Amino acid sequence: MFASKRLGKELQKLHDHVPPGIKLIKADDFQEWLMDIQVIDANPLYQGETYRLKFMFSGNYPIEAPEVVFVKDDAHPIPWHPHVYSNGIICLDLLDRQGWSPVHNVESVCVSLQSMLTSNTKKERPPGDDNFVRYNTQRPRDINFVFHDNQV
Amino acid sequence: MKVTIKEWNAVAAWRWDMPDDDVCGICRNPYDSTCSQCKFPGDECPLLLGECNHSFHMHCIFSWLRQESSQEKCPMCRQPFKSKSQDAVESPNPAQTRTPQTNATPA
Repeated sequence: MFASKRLGKELQKLHDHVPPGIKLIKADDFQEWLMDIQVIDANPLYQGETYRLKFMFSGNYPIEAPEVVFVKDDAHPIPWHPHVYSNGIICLDLLDRQGWSPVHNVESVCVSLQSMLTSNTKKERPPGDDNFVRYNTQRPRDINFVFHDNQV
Repeated sequence: MKVTIKEWNAVAAWRWDMPDDDVCGICRNPYDSTCSQCKFPGDECPLLLGECNHSFHMHCIFSWLRQESSQEKCPMCRQPFKSKSQDAVESPNPAQTRTPQTNATPA
């Protein structure tokens, strides 16, 4: 109820206008949306690539944060970033319980992720990526991230 | 000439004393409209102004402050959220005005 009304409004706005490099791909319901993002400046790490984001909303959105992951398919790789695991899970404070605020929205999350990529210069995965990707069975929202890196 | 008024109907409009085009940052509905759960705007779905000067529908900000993860901070500026208008805080207990919908499945 909460979520569907708010997402309905966001959807209307996204149909009217999206910021450059952001595209709405699929929003058939108020549970799961797909968004594409591109890094629009000349960062060589992300040139010419498009990344696909999956948003999952609980019925209590925006009081609760959405779960946001990169998804991989033939046309959409997982971007290199020291906070993005190779399975698409993103470690970003604003997506975590402690960092989320209900004034954020799908568009602002996309813009934040765009700028997180734009400013990155390292073609790296987070430390422990192999093990995390192999053994993690938790949903993103149940993972307790420790935010220790304010550099990127 | 003497005019006798037999009947008259007064019509009044009201609005909150807020900027015209502003919406509640949580539900994105206009301040003059209701939160996502109410039917009637006005006293039944009032606004709450924080000491930080950010305002929300009272039901919206209470839903947020009830979350442990909110740490009772304003969604806009992350300062501790304290209501400016004393009576709004002391009046209805937030837990009783709204039934928490945490387990509700999305429509």
